[in-house]
Amino acid sequence: MGVAYKIEEDQAQTTTYREALFRCMRGALADHPETFILGQGVDDHKGTFGSTVGLAEEFGAGRVMDSPLAEESMTGIGIGAALNGLYPIQTHIRADFALLAMNQIVNMAAKYKYMFGGRFEVPMLIRMVIGRSWGQGAQHSQSLQSLFAHVPGLTVIMPATSDSILETYPWIIENHRGPVISLEHRLLYDIAFRGDDARPENSPLSSRLLRRGKDVTIVATSIMVLEAKRAAEHLAETAGIEAEVIDLHCVSHPDRQMILDSVARTGRLIVADTSWQAYGVAAEISRIVCEHDPSILRAPIATLGMAPAPCPTAKTLEDLYYPTLRSLADTAARMVVGEEDHGVTLPEEASMADVYKRFKGPF
Amino acid sequence: MTFANPHEQLFYEALRIRRAEERIIEIYPTDRIQSPVHLSIGQEAIAVGVCHPLRIEDPLFGSYRSHAFFLAKGGSMRSMFAELYGKATGGSGGKAGSMHLTAPEVGFMGSSAVVASTIPNAVGAALAAQRRETGQVVVTVFGDGATEEGVYHESLNFAALHQLPVLFLCENNGLAVHSKLSDRQAYGICEHAATYGITTQRCREGWDFVRVNDLVGQAVEAIRRGDGPRFIECRTYRYQEHVGIGCDHDVGYRPRGPLEAWQANDPLLNEPALVEAFDPAIRDEIDDAVQFAESSPWPGPEQLLADVA
Ligand SMILES: Cc1ncc(C[n+]2csc(CCOP(=O)(O)OP(=O)(O)O)c2C)c(N)n1
Ligand SMILES: [Mg+2]
Repeated sequence: MGVAYKIEEDQAQTTTYREALFRCMRGALADHPETFILGQGVDDHKGTFGSTVGLAEEFGAGRVMDSPLAEESMTGIGIGAALNGLYPIQTHIRADFALLAMNQIVNMAAKYKYMFGGRFEVPMLIRMVIGRSWGQGAQHSQSLQSLFAHVPGLTVIMPATSDSILETYPWIIENHRGPVISLEHRLLYDIAFRGDDARPENSPLSSRLLRRGKDVTIVATSIMVLEAKRAAEHLAETAGIEAEVIDLHCVSHPDRQMILDSVARTGRLIVADTSWQAYGVAAEISRIVCEHDPSILRAPIATLGMAPAPCPTAKTLEDLYYPTLRSLADTAARMVVGEEDHGVTLPEEASMADVYKRFKGPF
Repeated sequence: MTFANPHEQLFYEALRIRRAEERIIEIYPTDRIQSPVHLSIGQEAIAVGVCHPLRIEDPLFGSYRSHAFFLAKGGSMRSMFAELYGKATGGSGGKAGSMHLTAPEVGFMGSSAVVASTIPNAVGAALAAQRRETGQVVVTVFGDGATEEGVYHESLNFAALHQLPVLFLCENNGLAVHSKLSDRQAYGICEHAATYGITTQRCREGWDFVRVNDLVGQAVEAIRRGDGPRFIECRTYRYQEHVGIGCDHDVGYRPRGPLEAWQANDPLLNEPALVEAFDPAIRDEIDDAVQFAESSPWPGPEQLLADVA
């Protein structure tokens, strides 16, 4: 199986994450009259990093609404609109800002259905962008999936490719009657994907097996899925180590069976997440395996995530802060060979941001 | 039941609410209602005055103090008592209790235990009403304390900015739990709301359901015409403690004088002939509801994980 994305070539046959988002936003407005987009700057010339550009002109200010700087009420207004027949798509240009909406997300959106005995539904999509690199710093870079996925009543996804977006967003808007939080990674926006990944068979609100391998299972989220695939290619080429790669995708409702089957085959598990490990995706996937049957593991689980600190801005520190292709390959090699000194040549690449980010800041 | 005039009808509805809450007070010591209750005794006139001019399909969003609005909007007595008992036949199948009553079939929407949290939901419902041209007027009911929350300000702004069909209804009982308004607010509630360009009105006679009804009726008419949001502050008085069934004029944070002054105006305490005429029917309805709640089944274990996501 080849790498499913290309950074420079094949532009004609590829779709960028940004284009995929734009297509879904436009499609939602065109196909579903009850949808509307509400967010800060959704109608401006930059249009939420290009994902909503021109849509206000095409569909009118009532369908693509600029929002006051008022995250809590905007979320609450989205909920109320959903309760009365509309489908809101909300945007936060950084996930960090959604913390101001936590009351409405956690106490209201997640509760309306259950707390009232199933009498209400709150169908809505809340898009949040995770920032990274170029000095985003402590308050423009947080990857908050586990905060949301912790709360019953919320569905949390982290689309890792253009395909994920194209499969999941229209499906959610048509079929899913509850609140969905989608965490979109800023570094993915400019990446062109070829779109040859296997498609999920049922609901796209699940996980995806992207690469088969017999030696180690890597469960990854968001941009770490790309790193996992690159690490797998490298390990296969240089050391004959075959990693199986699972894109967790639906963080709140992962495909447990897929993960357990995979780990039962490989006997080894690495979780590579975009966030902190403690109490997060890494901890949760480990829980799933350990509660099921720890004896399927031939080696202790390894996890990769952000350093347990707020994000620094200096590039020297930021490069240490995030897990890299190199640290992932190193972890996998160590685990499979079974020794610190595994002898596998590691890929020569320090900073993911240098590879993925194609514009020079600022946002 | 037929009524000679609007006063009698509103009186009946207010008395029905008071008697229902008095029944809660009677039952409470038995622990059959295991749910924090925030009683509206003393404040019923607002609920009936507000709900009477509304249509069934006009959504109303409330707070944890919502028995009165639930009943006034047309929620069923059986559904309420069953919900208070935590029974499967309650309006929310026993998952809501007193603080989250709902009756969407009559437009009584979410009621929430987090202060001010349904205000933006009402504004959003009004946005949908405007967009979908449903002709609905949405009402958001909140206390004086809720006006201190940031989301309240955000919601006023958005409603005024987009001229949404929503009525902001503040039940000002002068207290947030035990804190008096003058210790909490540097602004006047109406004066502040008016700075958003919203037409505001103040009703000092919150015991007078006919006056509340008239004010709200005019406001709702204007909103339905497309005049944008309106704001009404009703002064009122909470007779019981903040949460629970007791009286608390003896603990030192508020004097008895205002209670007595308010009670001197309270129609339910001053028109014994109407009380006598209406009590039997009301008692029958409440007896039936309590009986229904007592004999209803508990939600089964299959309900634990039903309706989560
Ligand atoms: C966000 C939030 N903060 C605090 C509380 C605790 N609390 C419950 S009721 C209440 C007082 C609210 O006063 P007001 O809005 O005037 O309503 P009232 O109870 O007087 O009807 C407070 C502070 C809460 N439930 N939610
Ligand atoms: Mg109060």
